[in-house]
Amino acid sequence: MSKQAWSNEPAQPGEMLAMPTAARQAAARPPRQWWEFGRALLYMSPALLLLLAFTYIPFLRSIWLSFFVTNPQGDTVRFNDVRYYTRILNLDGSGRTEYLRSILTTVYFSLLVVPLGIVFALALALLATLRVRAIAVFRTIFTSSIAISVASASVIWALIYSPNTRATQWLIDLLHLNANSLLQHPATALFAVAFMTTWTSLGFNFIVTLAGLQAIPHDIYESARIDGANNWALFRYITLPLLTPTLLFLILISTIQSFQAFTQFNVLIGNEGPANATDVFVFAIFTAFWKDNRYGFASAMSVVLFLILFVLTFIQYRLLDRRVHYQ
Amino acid sequence: MSSLDTHAPPGMGQRPARIGALLQTVALYAVLSLVALLVLLPLLFALSLALQGPTLSPTLLPDFSRLDWSSFREVFREEPNLTRWIVNSFVVALAVTLGQLVTSALAAFALATMSFPAKVVFFFVFLGTLMIPWESTIIPNYLAITRLGWKDSYQGLIVPFLASGFGIFLLRQYFLTIPRDLYEAAVLDGCGPARYLWSILLPLSRPALATLAVYTFLNTWNQYYWPLLIVDSPEWRTTQIGITAFRSSEVTIYNLQMASTIIVMLPTLILLVLGQRQLVRGLTAGALKG
Repeated sequence: MSKQAWSNEPAQPGEMLAMPTAARQAAARPPRQWWEFGRALLYMSPALLLLLAFTYIPFLRSIWLSFFVTNPQGDTVRFNDVRYYTRILNLDGSGRTEYLRSILTTVYFSLLVVPLGIVFALALALLATLRVRAIAVFRTIFTSSIAISVASASVIWALIYSPNTRATQWLIDLLHLNANSLLQHPATALFAVAFMTTWTSLGFNFIVTLAGLQAIPHDIYESARIDGANNWALFRYITLPLLTPTLLFLILISTIQSFQAFTQFNVLIGNEGPANATDVFVFAIFTAFWKDNRYGFASAMSVVLFLILFVLTFIQYRLLDRRVHYQ
Repeated sequence: MSSLDTHAPPGMGQRPARIGALLQTVALYAVLSLVALLVLLPLLFALSLALQGPTLSPTLLPDFSRLDWSSFREVFREEPNLTRWIVNSFVVALAVTLGQLVTSALAAFALATMSFPAKVVFFFVFLGTLMIPWESTIIPNYLAITRLGWKDSYQGLIVPFLASGFGIFLLRQYFLTIPRDLYEAAVLDGCGPARYLWSILLPLSRPALATLAVYTFLNTWNQYYWPLLIVDSPEWRTTQIGITAFRSSEVTIYNLQMASTIIVMLPTLILLVLGQRQLVRGLTAGALKG
């Protein structure tokens, strides 16, 4: 976005000589420039102060705290070097890998949520392009889950998975599980949470995919059809390739979101799960932070999470830039 | 499969084509309805449980001859705080929405319309907040809010969210589409920047403001992690914390639990039906934030 957006900007100081009157005047009168700066600063100050206070300073403080042992009030007690980081990443040679395993659990979780989400969204979006009169109603229904909070969805799915309602008993019988609920068996717990997560993100994934489908020019289909292409060929050689940027975008967004998932784990399970099967990294941070009050250690974990998400977000921005060039 | 299936195949007679088209339409509606039913299944399940009365072993389908709607009334008596939770959520979501509109509009106006030194730096300071996930700020924020004595208070739930890099970015992009000549003409006519913002730019930017408002309201209403940390006493809970706490309370009465969940979902579901376009625009743009 940035290159285009900046094109109507005034010249930067270095380019001023090449600019006509207005810029030269500005250069001749520095006080006016400062006055303009002050006025702009005034307009930006509420947002600036709030974002400094609640985003930048806390972020820097997280990094600071991650190098210290803290007391239960959150004050730094003693410098700890990078020991928390080596502990998390098992670089200290202790062989305790529970945090690496927790990151791995998060990766598994994404590997379940992302493909499921894409497949369902694609199916729904293709259905939503059918030309029938009441299609708007169906589109609203397919979108509905974006209005449902993860907390509400978790409360509902907790009952779907509850042994008392017996709604998923057939699946437990089918799989011959030795557990009362899908959430209580190490082999199915993570999958159960992932399936529920797919449902909560269905509306969003659907709407993004539908927008991508609708952006494909219609005459491409018309001419391919005249050339004798059947429905499968249209989908395989036109829809899918032209939808690839949208799907890539969706894959990255879903991955980032699944790395940040917390609510459903806390409401549906509330602990590390059977045999730590659902101890995703964000939940492990919550445990260190909230249950154990180890603020320094939890901060180090949150910095590790930041780095993982930073890489993912960076890839996403690069991808978005490319997507703009396609069009 | 894709978008062009309702055309009758060529070479068919007029009447069979019409019957064929009719059958195809019926089939399409059948498939769409079935899929819609599957998508809505969890919600229908919640409604079914809410209508079955205070039973400990609910069935999947309610007894349609005697649906018990009393749970929607009963839940307010059983959990007297429910009204308060709804009020809390409305106060917090409305205040955060209004606050973000104000702070974002002011900052976006400066970035999009004014010329001043180091503008790029400020732009990236705002944009940079999108790269910082809330997990990496929540511990110091929690400690700071606790130290301020803002636990169990509206300011603790509201103030940390009054500005957003996303809101500034969204409005800036929209403001840039409005010709700068308009600003220069207004200034020549003796209109100050504040008045230009209020009486010209904002009215012209209603679509973007609506998008930001709907998106922010929905997100704030659905917040879970932050209120979970900040709220200790039951009357300060927001709806999301309330319904999940309801769940873990000792007596689990399914019909009341589902009734409260459905009640709490209503405002955002109504928002979806009324403001679907804005919501969709906000969500697809907001996805940038990740």
